[in-house]
Amino acid sequence: MNLGLLALQGLRALRRPLGLLALLGLIGALAGCAQMVPQTIGLRSGWPAEVPRQLELDAVPFFAQSDYQCGPAALATVLHASGAQADPDALVRQVYLPSRQGSLQVEMLAAPRLHGRVAWQLPPHYDALLRELAAGRPVLVLQDVGLPPFANWHYAVVVGFNYEAGELYLRSGTTRREVVPFTIFELTWRRSGYWAMVVNKPGTLPATATEASYLPALLAFERSAQPEESRRAWAAFAQRWPGNRLASLALANRHYEAHDLLQAEAVLQVALLKHPDSPELINNLAQVVSDQGRHAEALALIDRAAVGEGPFAADIATTRAGIVQRRDAPR
Amino acid sequence: MKSVAMKTLCRVLIVSLMSLTFQTASAGMIRTEQAAAAISPDRALVLSTLTRSDVSEQMQAQGLDPAIAAERVAAMTDAEVRTLADNINTAPAGGLSTLAAVVIIGLLVWVIWYRR
Repeated sequence: MNLGLLALQGLRALRRPLGLLALLGLIGALAGCAQMVPQTIGLRSGWPAEVPRQLELDAVPFFAQSDYQCGPAALATVLHASGAQADPDALVRQVYLPSRQGSLQVEMLAAPRLHGRVAWQLPPHYDALLRELAAGRPVLVLQDVGLPPFANWHYAVVVGFNYEAGELYLRSGTTRREVVPFTIFELTWRRSGYWAMVVNKPGTLPATATEASYLPALLAFERSAQPEESRRAWAAFAQRWPGNRLASLALANRHYEAHDLLQAEAVLQVALLKHPDSPELINNLAQVVSDQGRHAEALALIDRAAVGEGPFAADIATTRAGIVQRRDAPR
Repeated sequence: MKSVAMKTLCRVLIVSLMSLTFQTASAGMIRTEQAAAAISPDRALVLSTLTRSDVSEQMQAQGLDPAIAAERVAAMTDAEVRTLADNINTAPAGGLSTLAAVVIIGLLVWVIWYRR
């Protein structure tokens, strides 16, 4: 079917009262496939509970794109909204790929880390997009705005919506405030697999993040983050989801690097209550305890982990030898 | 010939220096990355240094300066590097020309305001 024609008819329908309803009827009748915009239709019966019917983040800045550089412009928009002073020209160097005349999704997710921000890919649902907006966070999306069969990939930033009017508001290309109906937006967004991302200041969490899905985002952030920023990010994670095995280890390691042995010990103790047999937690706690001069206690601890084999067997043996050596060293 | 060899050597050195900076944790402590690699169910994703330099070279072939390519690859996780190694030429590259942006947006405005 002709998507372009459908789009034109749909847009015309929207100008009338009950436009959205008419449009949905039109789509159903014309194409016989309500599956074209399943999520828009889903919203009619299931608007997310904690999300208002309309909102617009007016304070989100606008960076007009240059040729083929909607990626850097969209990224500059969300980074500035999160308080990072990212220069759009620097972002061109970080995400633009000259021979592809565009930016790849992987790089859009990696670049915010170079600006001290945690990038997170949203679940592929309107619901998630709306909830992040309701939490005050603009959402960067990938659309295919070409008419089939020609793809024309484009990054834009959603900054608001009005449910009654059936409209979304975007910072897009060279337009500061683009008004797009939910249906048309879904048609373009759906072809990217509903791809969307937000950026977060370390210490804040996305509204739609879960323990399992946000952990990889922080591990990725850890690669290029400043120690203090990484510590703040892990601390927020540990506060929301206490006792996570890997997150606790990461947070304790950051405390340890900052020579804060007491904090490192406290974090590891909490995690050990939940994972009493976890060898990497035991190993690091033993080291932290021994660093405070409590060698006997450290030895008793590490002997709980020094049985059998495992990915950390060699590390545990080294740690144990180090503790014994320090215990026996003349003062 | 000499310059090709030098270039390769430099790339290997740059990448190995970068991986070194992630291994400066104190003796006795198990590092976060190390634990993540061991605990994560997807251990197959752990990459050799070589794959990173491969992707870095692919990005240079796409028109990037070597130092910038190396910096961009360094910000990626192993999983991301693997994704890019597989589809750098085929993945969607978001990039609308300004002209196309103006035409598409113009079309929308025209449809909404003048064709009702």
